[in-house]
Amino acid sequence: MSDLDAYRAKAAAWLASMAPTYGRDARKGLSEADDLALGRRYQKAKFDAGYAGINWPTEYGGQGLGHLEKVTFDAEEMKHGFPSFYFGISLGMPVPVLMQFGSDKDFVKERVLKALQGEEIWCQLFSEPSGGSDLAGLRTKAEPDGNGWKINGQKVWTSWAHYSDYGVIVVRTDPNVPKHKGLTYFWVDMKAPGVTVRPIKLAGGDSHVNEVFFDDVKITDDHRMSPVGGGFAVAIATLMIERYVATDSAGFGPHLDLFVQLAKDIALNGRPAIEDGRIRQQIARNHAMRSGLDSINVRARLMMQAGMMPGPEGSLNKLVAVRSRQKLSELALDLQGSGGFLFDEHASPKEDWASSWINAPTGRIAGGSDETLLNTIAEKVLGLPQDHRPDKGIPFNQIPA
Amino acid sequence: MTILYDEGQQAIATESRRVLEARVGKEALLPLLETVGEYHQPFWDTAKEQGWTALALPEADGGLGLGLIELGLIAHQAGRSISGAPFLTSSFGAAKAIELFGSDAQKGRWLPGLASGTTIGAIAFAAGPDALPRQPDVTLTGDRIDGTLRGVSAGLAADVAIVLANGPGMPVLALVHLDGVQRVAVPSFDNSRLIADLGFSDAPAETLVVGDAARTAALHILALQSVVTAHEQTGGAEALMEIARDYALTRRAFGQPIGAFQSVKHRIAELYGLVELARANCIHAAAREGATDFITAAAAARLSATEAYDTAARDCIQIHGGIGVTWEIGLHLHMRRARSLAIEQGSSLFWEDVLVDQLAGETA
Repeated sequence: MSDLDAYRAKAAAWLASMAPTYGRDARKGLSEADDLALGRRYQKAKFDAGYAGINWPTEYGGQGLGHLEKVTFDAEEMKHGFPSFYFGISLGMPVPVLMQFGSDKDFVKERVLKALQGEEIWCQLFSEPSGGSDLAGLRTKAEPDGNGWKINGQKVWTSWAHYSDYGVIVVRTDPNVPKHKGLTYFWVDMKAPGVTVRPIKLAGGDSHVNEVFFDDVKITDDHRMSPVGGGFAVAIATLMIERYVATDSAGFGPHLDLFVQLAKDIALNGRPAIEDGRIRQQIARNHAMRSGLDSINVRARLMMQAGMMPGPEGSLNKLVAVRSRQKLSELALDLQGSGGFLFDEHASPKEDWASSWINAPTGRIAGGSDETLLNTIAEKVLGLPQDHRPDKGIPFNQIPA
Repeated sequence: MTILYDEGQQAIATESRRVLEARVGKEALLPLLETVGEYHQPFWDTAKEQGWTALALPEADGGLGLGLIELGLIAHQAGRSISGAPFLTSSFGAAKAIELFGSDAQKGRWLPGLASGTTIGAIAFAAGPDALPRQPDVTLTGDRIDGTLRGVSAGLAADVAIVLANGPGMPVLALVHLDGVQRVAVPSFDNSRLIADLGFSDAPAETLVVGDAARTAALHILALQSVVTAHEQTGGAEALMEIARDYALTRRAFGQPIGAFQSVKHRIAELYGLVELARANCIHAAAREGATDFITAAAAARLSATEAYDTAARDCIQIHGGIGVTWEIGLHLHMRRARSLAIEQGSSLFWEDVLVDQLAGETA
C-alpha cells in the first residue's frame, strides 16, 4: 500500500466515523441556521483531527501536506454529504490569498486559525451589478480618507456574505487611468458600519448569494493587500487559485454512479433503461469526459507537487463539466418521466437531479461564464486575437457608457 | 492514477516528432490515396530504424521493454504527421497477443520479426459493426480455418494475423500464417491502410485461447491497440487545432483576422478542450496497463480521441472555407484518417457498449 493509499484509508475511516453525527442523515430537516452550526462543529472536528488546511503551511495551522493528500481527502469527504459548503469559498480563495498577500502576519495567523476551525467565514467581493465577466470594469470606489480609505459602492453575487465575518474586495482607487490600472485589493470587516448585506433568492429557491452595499465604509490602510493600483494582479491570483479549487468533474452535480443506478432501476420500454442505447451513449460520453477532467486535475496536482506550474488545461473543468451536467440532469428527469416532478428546493445539487438541473445555469455563469472561459482559452492559450474592446487603453472615467 | 511524463519519455516525444516532421509530408501521402496497396515506405523504414516497432515488446523477445506510455508518445507524433502505414498498431496488437497468449515456440517464431519490423502483423476480429462478434465469420476446425474476414487493416501486407473464430461450440483466439491466403484489396477512402478481405480455405491456424477466455483476451488486445490509436487520433486532432489556429491568425476578412470573430475563436477553443480531454484520457489509460480498470480507461481514451479527431477534421476544414476542400491543401488526409482510425479497433458504438458494461458491472 502506497503512502497515499494509507492516507486515504485512514481518512476514509475517520470520515465514516463522523458521518452519523455530521453527515447526510444527520442534516435532514435542519434549518439553515442549525445546519450552519452543525457545519461549524464539523469544521472544528476536522481541524482537531488534522484534516483542515491539509496542504497549508503548518505555521498557519495547516498540515503541511501536499495537493494529493488534499484531493484524496476531498474525494472521500464528498461521499458523506457533510455541511462543508459554507466554508468552501472562505477556505478556497479569500483565506489562502490573505496568507499570501496579508501584511500583518500576526493578524493573518489569527484569522486563518479561526477560519480553519469554522469560527470565522470569509467571502470574496468581486462581481458588481454593472458587470461580472468584465471584472476590471468594476465601479465600487475607495477614496483616501485621513490615513485610510472610504469605500462606496455595491457588490453582487457574493456567496455566503450573510454569514461572513470578513471579505476580500477589489475596488477602484483611481478612475483617471485605464481600467485595469486603477484597482486596489483590500480586506474588509463585514460587520463594519456601512456594510449592508441583502440575500438574493436564486431561480432554484436557494439564497446563498447576496448583494453587498458599502456606504462610507472606513478602513485603515493596513487592510490593503496590494500596491495602490496593483489590485488586478491579486484578483487574478485569486481566480487562479479558484481554477484549481473548483475542480469537480461532475460539474458540482451528481456523480455519474447515481445516473447509472437510476438507469438500472428504471424500466424503459419494458427493459432496464441501462440497456437502452440512447442512455448508454450518454453514460459512456459523460464518463469519458469526466475521466479526462479527472486526469487533467490529478496531473495539475502532480505538477504543483513537483514545483511546476500546471498547464492551462485546468481552465476546462468548469466549462466542460457544468454544461454536461446540465444536459445529463435533463436526461435524468426525462428518464423518470411522470415520476420526476417531485422537487425539494433544499435538496443538494450533488445528489438530486432536479436540484442539479435547476441550479446548473448558475454554474455556467458564476466564476466566469462559458463564453468568457472560451475567450480566455482562445486568447491566452491559443494566442488568437482579442475581441474588439472600445474601452481598451482609455481612462476608466472616459469609457463610453 | 495518471502520470507526468519523465525526461526519457519527453525525449521520445521530441525526437520522434523531429524525425517524422522531417520525413513525412503531404506531398508523399496524397498520391497514396489514389493507389491501392501502397504505403509510405519511408515512414515504416523510420519506425524500424528508430526502434519504434520494438519499443513496447519484452527484451527477452527482441523488444526494448518499454510500454504503452512510450508507444503512445510515438503514436501521438505519428498522428500529427499522418502515419504512412497502419503497422505500428497492427503489429503491436499481434505481437501482444502472441506475447500474452502464445507458447514459447510461437513467441520464438514470431516476436523477434515483429519487434524488428521485418514481420508485419494484423488483428482481424471484426464482422461489420461488431468489433468482437459472438458469431465470427471464420470457423476453426482442428488446426484449419475457413471463412472470410472483411476489411482487415494491414491485411494486404501482413505475414501473420490474430483472429477470433468459431471453434467447437466456443470461441477461439487463433494465430494464422497468411502465406498463401487469398487477399482481396478493398479500395478505400484511406488506401494506405492496406485494407483487405482475407479468404481462408483450409488454412493452417494455431490456437491461442479457447472458450470465454478467448473473448476476454481479444477485448484486451483491442483495448491495448485502442490506447495506441487514441494517442494517434489525439495527435491528429492536435495538429488540426494548430492548423486552424494558424490559419485564423493569418486569413483576413472584413478588415481583421478571422480568428478575431468569436464564432471562429470559440470553435477553436472548443477543439482545444476536446484535444486536452483526449490527451488526458490517453495518458491515464497508458498508465493503467495491467490494472483492473484498464478496459474502462482504454474505452474512455478511445471515445474522447475519436470525438476530438472527427470534430477537429470537420471544424478545421470549415474554418478554412473554400481552400479547405481542395485536394492540394491536404486537410482531407486528416479527415480520411480520422474516419479510418475511428473504425479500426472498433467504432465509438462498440466502445460505448464496452464502457457501460464496465461501469454497470457487467462483462462484455
